[in-house]
Amino acid sequence: MASHPALKAIRRELFASRTDGLISLGLLALIGASLLGLLRWAFLQAQWVVIQANSTLFAVGRYPLDQQWRLWLLVALLAMASGLSWGLLRAIPRADRSGVLWPLNDRIALALLAFLASWAPAALGLSVPLQARWWLITALLLAIRWSAGRWGRRLPPRLLKLVPLIWPLLYLLGMALISGGLGLVRVPPSEWGGLLLTVLMASFAILASFPLGVLMALGRRSELPLLRWGSVVYIEFVRGAPLITLLFLGQNILGFMLPGGLAPDRVWRAAWVLTFFCGAYVAEAVRAGLASVPAGQQEAARSLGLTVPQALQQVVLPQALRIALPATVGQFISLLQDTTLLSLIGLLELLGTARTVMANPDFLGLTAEVYLTLAVLFWCCCAALGLGSRALERRLDPTHSPA
Amino acid sequence: MTTPSISSAQAPAATGPWMIEAIGVQKRYPNGFHALRGVDLRVRRGEVVVIMGPSGSGKSTFIRTFNALEEFQEGSITIDGTALSNDLRNIDLIRCETGMVFQQFNLFPHLTVLQNLCLAPVLVRKRRRSEVERQATALLERVGIAEQASKYPGQLSGGQQQRVAIARSLCMEPRILLFDEPTSALDPEMVGEVLEVMKGLAADGMTMVVVTHEMGFAREVAHRVVLMSEGRIVEEAPPSTFFTNPQHERSRQFLAQIL
Repeated sequence: MASHPALKAIRRELFASRTDGLISLGLLALIGASLLGLLRWAFLQAQWVVIQANSTLFAVGRYPLDQQWRLWLLVALLAMASGLSWGLLRAIPRADRSGVLWPLNDRIALALLAFLASWAPAALGLSVPLQARWWLITALLLAIRWSAGRWGRRLPPRLLKLVPLIWPLLYLLGMALISGGLGLVRVPPSEWGGLLLTVLMASFAILASFPLGVLMALGRRSELPLLRWGSVVYIEFVRGAPLITLLFLGQNILGFMLPGGLAPDRVWRAAWVLTFFCGAYVAEAVRAGLASVPAGQQEAARSLGLTVPQALQQVVLPQALRIALPATVGQFISLLQDTTLLSLIGLLELLGTARTVMANPDFLGLTAEVYLTLAVLFWCCCAALGLGSRALERRLDPTHSPA
Repeated sequence: MTTPSISSAQAPAATGPWMIEAIGVQKRYPNGFHALRGVDLRVRRGEVVVIMGPSGSGKSTFIRTFNALEEFQEGSITIDGTALSNDLRNIDLIRCETGMVFQQFNLFPHLTVLQNLCLAPVLVRKRRRSEVERQATALLERVGIAEQASKYPGQLSGGQQQRVAIARSLCMEPRILLFDEPTSALDPEMVGEVLEVMKGLAADGMTMVVVTHEMGFAREVAHRVVLMSEGRIVEEAPPSTFFTNPQHERSRQFLAQIL
């Protein structure tokens, strides 16, 4: 008889009764068969050459080859900033927690990164110098993560307060590196593409729609009628229209409304439409968060002499935004997926790039490989957003405090 | 002058200047409910006044007008020589001088206990954080929870939270403390620890207006007990008289109900 606890658990969970056992066996057979089919296709039939041959196209579109060092530099800087923030986050835990320097999740992440760095560049068939760049960037990230975790506590508090500022600065620097300026050759938005364009569009819309959404939510609760009605009309108009119509509208109407030259580039027009679209949904999520903060919080803050803006900034908004966080990130995840609609207005983001690749006579019929790659890429981005949001939620949750 | 015979916990009689002067205060809610129908109350420096009354009698509304959490339509309120007006700066000034302790504590759940105490002194009084933290630590010691300084309010018991709330008010160094049913949301075994802190404050000469149903506290600490009913003050007397020989029929009814 099974005596091992794991076997006992399996027996209890899956084979408690005769019916349970039959259902379990049936499902296991189904899962096994489909998994086997998928693996056989992936390893024996699929022609991954379509991905290998177009990996640069998928990554950055038609970004000029001689300027791609700027993107490498940006990736390296991003890796360094991530390593620094990650390490400091572990080195300086919340006031009421002890904190572990290398918790289990971090060790899993470490293993995953090491695996990705050694496997993905090779699997993509990159040249050895390019592979080496990826190894170097990963090593850089992990080295900084390690040292920040080890020595982060010794940094002066004044300096530590400045660390979060790295991110907005890096974002601006990244924009400059990508588009040119500061003495660099200009690369017009029409030459950006692939994952670069998708991430750029999504991150811009996410970053810009968040403050917009917060302002709209505050406006909707304002006592000034003009502000309140303005916010209501905006939110309800945007939420009442499908994104694709707004995208087409944005492409055309901005051209009519603004004198030639003033209207932003097609790519930026789309980015603004995405921003305004997402902002309306974020506003509703934040409004729900604001409504859930008890009135007593505002009263306590005001009775201590805080002004209305101070009470909002220090007491009400931090609580409201934490509550609104899951719904807001949900919006961001759908926004990321909605960027695929940009291919319908002729932008070559991931899906647009994929369609040009599939239309190439050399790779006819290899749609499954392309779509699967796209799905995995999107899944990775969304999973990262979701994981980050849940980690943030736990860190901000004042009632939940593991060791 | 109150008689010195009542109890040892009671501070010496207050003879100082008026700290609160409320004259003919009337409040109507937008829905027409007439919550305050002309209330007069004057409180001297160092005096402890307990306000009692059935629910809906306007006692909470009344003390919430002192720091402008509630607006009033008629009458006047002067706090330590400054008349309450609708000028926002005037309101902010008065709120700095009058601390308030709420029934539901209203601690800021996203800040640690120490941060709860330091927020307003640093932001409003523009004091140095290090100096405020020293004072906050001393105050937490005084209310008996210094070891909880780095915890979040949600990790404390109700009694501890209310003591933090009192310390948070004290950290602004107010001249008046208002208590809005400070023990009504507490489990019975935690009421005592909060009342002890309040007694200590009274003994130190803090001017306090307390809305409460704690008879023991009123008897032992208050200089005056005020009974409100239907938006008016019905009776105002030292606790010795109030509890043993109430003058008004409404007071006798109320005492019969809560005793």
